[in-house]
Amino acid sequence: MISLTAASARSLQRTIAWIVSIANAALVVYALTAMQPLGGYQFVESVEWLSDIGLKYAVGLDGINVWMVVLATLLTPLALFAARNESTHQKSFHALILVLSASLIGAFVATDLLLFYVFFELTLVPTAVLIATHGSGDAKAAAIKFFVYPFIGSVFMLASIAGLVINHYQQTGLMTFDSVILSGAVLNGTLVLDQNLERALFAGFFLAFAIKTPIWPFHTWMPQAQASTPSNGSVDIAGILLKIGAYGMLRFALPFFPHAAVWAAPAIGVLAVISILYSAVIAFGQKDMKVLLSYATISHLGFVMLGIYSQTVEGVTGALITMINSGLTTGALFLIVGILAAQRGSRNRDDFSGVWLTAPTFGTLTLITVFASIGVPGLNGFVGEFLSMQGAWLAPQLGYSYVVFAVIGIVLSAAYLLRMYRGVFMGAAPEENAIHEPSTGELAVLGLLIVAMIVIGLYPNIITSISNASVTDLVNSLNANSQ
Amino acid sequence: MTQLSWFIALIPAIPLLGFLLNALFVKGEKANGLIASVAVAGAFGAAIAAVLGLNGLDEASRQISIPLWQWLAVGKLDVAFGLYYDPLTAVMTLLITGVGTLIHIFSVTYMHGDARPRRYFAYLNLFVFSMLMLVMSDNLLVLFLGWEGVGLCSFLLIGHWFERKSVQPGIVPSEAAAKAFVVNRIGDAGLLLAMMLILSRFGTLSFYGPDGNSGFFSKLSEASFTMVNLGSLGTVSVVSGIAFLMILAVVGKSAQLPLFVWLPDAMAGPTPVSALIHAATMVTAGVYLVVRNHMLFDLAPDAATWLTIIGTMTALIGATAALTQFDIKRVLAYSTISQLGFMIAATGMGAYTAAMYHLLTHGLFKALLFLAAGAIIHGLHDVQDMRRMGGLAKSMPTIYRVYLVGAFALAGIFPFAGFWSKDEILVHGWFNAQSITTTVVLLFSSLLTAFYMGRQIALTFAGEARDNELHAHEHLGTMKWPLILLAIGAVVGGLINLPGLYTLHDWLRPVLHEPTELYTVGMGVFATITTLLAAGSGYLAYRIYSGPALASIKSGAEDPAHYYLGDIWKGFELGWGVDFVYQRFFVRPYRALSEYVYEVFDVQAIDGILVEGSARSVGALARLKSQAQNGSVRTYAFVFLIGVVLVVGYMVFGA
Repeated sequence: MISLTAASARSLQRTIAWIVSIANAALVVYALTAMQPLGGYQFVESVEWLSDIGLKYAVGLDGINVWMVVLATLLTPLALFAARNESTHQKSFHALILVLSASLIGAFVATDLLLFYVFFELTLVPTAVLIATHGSGDAKAAAIKFFVYPFIGSVFMLASIAGLVINHYQQTGLMTFDSVILSGAVLNGTLVLDQNLERALFAGFFLAFAIKTPIWPFHTWMPQAQASTPSNGSVDIAGILLKIGAYGMLRFALPFFPHAAVWAAPAIGVLAVISILYSAVIAFGQKDMKVLLSYATISHLGFVMLGIYSQTVEGVTGALITMINSGLTTGALFLIVGILAAQRGSRNRDDFSGVWLTAPTFGTLTLITVFASIGVPGLNGFVGEFLSMQGAWLAPQLGYSYVVFAVIGIVLSAAYLLRMYRGVFMGAAPEENAIHEPSTGELAVLGLLIVAMIVIGLYPNIITSISNASVTDLVNSLNANSQ
Repeated sequence: MTQLSWFIALIPAIPLLGFLLNALFVKGEKANGLIASVAVAGAFGAAIAAVLGLNGLDEASRQISIPLWQWLAVGKLDVAFGLYYDPLTAVMTLLITGVGTLIHIFSVTYMHGDARPRRYFAYLNLFVFSMLMLVMSDNLLVLFLGWEGVGLCSFLLIGHWFERKSVQPGIVPSEAAAKAFVVNRIGDAGLLLAMMLILSRFGTLSFYGPDGNSGFFSKLSEASFTMVNLGSLGTVSVVSGIAFLMILAVVGKSAQLPLFVWLPDAMAGPTPVSALIHAATMVTAGVYLVVRNHMLFDLAPDAATWLTIIGTMTALIGATAALTQFDIKRVLAYSTISQLGFMIAATGMGAYTAAMYHLLTHGLFKALLFLAAGAIIHGLHDVQDMRRMGGLAKSMPTIYRVYLVGAFALAGIFPFAGFWSKDEILVHGWFNAQSITTTVVLLFSSLLTAFYMGRQIALTFAGEARDNELHAHEHLGTMKWPLILLAIGAVVGGLINLPGLYTLHDWLRPVLHEPTELYTVGMGVFATITTLLAAGSGYLAYRIYSGPALASIKSGAEDPAHYYLGDIWKGFELGWGVDFVYQRFFVRPYRALSEYVYEVFDVQAIDGILVEGSARSVGALARLKSQAQNGSVRTYAFVFLIGVVLVVGYMVFGA
């Protein structure tokens, strides 16, 4: 719709973008309230698409992906908000953000495997274009890497999808991409994969999702992309929407290949722990605050991987909550860095000092966000990290030795985030050009995000009461399979 | 809920309300101070009412669980956000809210004219709330909320003057705040691991459970013999494993060896904060943790032995470091580390009541000493160097008197509060635990305690003023009554557990189940000897530093003892160089590591060789296939091709 409007009609474009994203958010809130605390998909829509090969436009919500959709719909307005003062490319920006949002939500709700793949690929396009057109420095190179690298991974996933579907067809005579049918077939034994084949197909999915997530050592595209995108944080917020990697692991890689997942879990657990520690060590030395935050994100996603591959209710719930947190808290931090950069024209933490003095409310809100990210109990970060680690501890295929190393991450995260906060917000304020309090709107948005952080921190039941049934179903089916 | 439950729930609720009012609504220094003080005083009132209510119940039913809401209910985990109240919690709440009230009132004058009184008082209330949650939780997870909450408040209050480049003696407040939080987090990680181990073995984090008999304490004995194999580290029983992880937490929060380095720097905060958080309450949380989990440590003698060793060493190191400081607050900071060592050593020897006894009396007299030191600093316009003081007995008579009381109590002089509680620890070590080495080291440390207090009194109050530019004056305002009340407490505080009466001991018996012991003549003789030695040691120091050594006390000059002891003295002064070791071997290498990992591993190896390299080699291959395309599009096309080939190949051959 936006692309149809004239380039001059700025306010119109903006209004459309806002209306669409807010209407979307309202729909999701409705879905959330109407959601039954049961397992299985609800609000299912299914339309035959190419019935010859069993392709359907099939979408549905359950207690897991509904939260991903909530996150995406709530962060889309945030990304728009962060970019509201951007003057160039406004039309394309709003359009691209909405395309991204649509494809993301599509990927989250798709229950048909091929449909998921299409949306999964589609998310790359608007993001890469955003980086290329709005970026600075090596933006084009970063955009290409951003596009090509995950794309390579997903090609392997496509191969795995084909392998899975064909095997299913051969064994049952039914040609379908429906993930519910496929995982059901794996569960009740109508689809049995040879051990090596299962591992190979799993590897295809894993590679695609590991790059997308990203986890170490597939992560390098992310800091580079973030270093070359505009400073206002908008694209980064969009970027952290990209939780489809971790989501895909949980939703597809595990239920289709339960034996292979258990087999690979120790190795993946090691990668997850390396992600946590390695990124935290690097974040400590980063001066560009956006790059620092992107390494922080990778570190948090290590906890997500640990939780997912624990294949326990605790771990998977922890992973789910950590995904939400990473969007919420890191989203807020990107917004904060955007606000700072807009005033100073720099994202280097050494260029700031004493912001808390001249912008007290902003400083306090930032501090709460920082502590949420560090994982202080009472705020959201703690719940997710604790559950992920507890799950890994309980998991027979992982165990405490992983947690003993992962827990070092909570010390290191305090070190790098407080180093940033201390340098930027504490100390004496400069005589001239001190950072001033941002607008009321910006403070209000941060305040709302913080309210969400506190609510999740003190009453995580708000998430778990909806997700518990679905997560338990999923974990039970995995355990039934892997025995 | 019964009436008693309402009072119990009110104890943490009122400071929380005070925090919210100050943080969100109220402006104006006077109103902030008033609200904060009234909130904590209200909590103190509720705490008294709750203790009286608890006292009315018979011993067996003196434990009250109040579940508020379900906090985390996922899988095996079912943790209520619940309060718990028993005799142990009761004495802690009395200390926190009682001393807390006095310190709030003291702060009204002390912080007058501060740039951010609203934040200061909001933080103080938040601290009191968090500390109350720590001692009133009915499970480890809520305890952890309080545990990290007090760490957060400590960060905020140490960094209250975050804009200052440095405060005396050369500490950067923002650095000290971050250091305190990060060092504490090392301990917190230990507690987190302990929780996960408990949960995985016992399936609950509740201490006693809703019915008083279904928490993890009741499941301990069956698990105490299960061994865990740690590979090359040997084997350890589950209970010992939990206990060792908790020791890590204790070492962090209670500033024990080797993690005590944050506490001396924490003195960068306003002095009432040092009194409340870094002397009377927060740092004692580790002692509380051990006493609360005493059943666990009883079953883990190996861990308990380590507690004794750590506590004893810390007591000695803290005392020797306090001996050498010239900053009036730093003396007290190292003294706190040393006294916490006494308490930890006591818990290690199984003397839980003695540890709690010393915790309570120490809370009174150390808060008194810190506040009095704060009043001195206030009267001298932010001078903390004792070399510039001298002769304050004349210009600050009230402060002098209360300081003397506090010093006597700390030094363990009969009949002041510290004498009784410290004596109980030493007696327990000598007579019951029969650990002679420990007792001798602790006794030596307590003689040093008397010595450094004698030195401090001499340097601060005796003789003539050394710096006439200071215009020393005593203007107490609301600071007066807190000092006087605490001084009374420091005199009579010992009454709560006099030998023979054992009031505190009896009060805590439903929790600790310690047998009552007879007080023998031998113990009396022991106590007489120790207090005489302490008095002698203190007097000696006073004579030295108000007499022969006085001439060489000048601003910027070394202590005369430095002449005789040289580098040993210097080493004491630097806290045995532990901080130096961390800076040299951890902090600086970590900075370098961070740069190195980024440059070498991330940019060059992973991205440079693996990612770009494979892209380039794929590109080179692609060039063979097609000349028409260029750049990355070519790569992309080629990879797509590989994918298609794989799919088709599988379709053809895999079937």
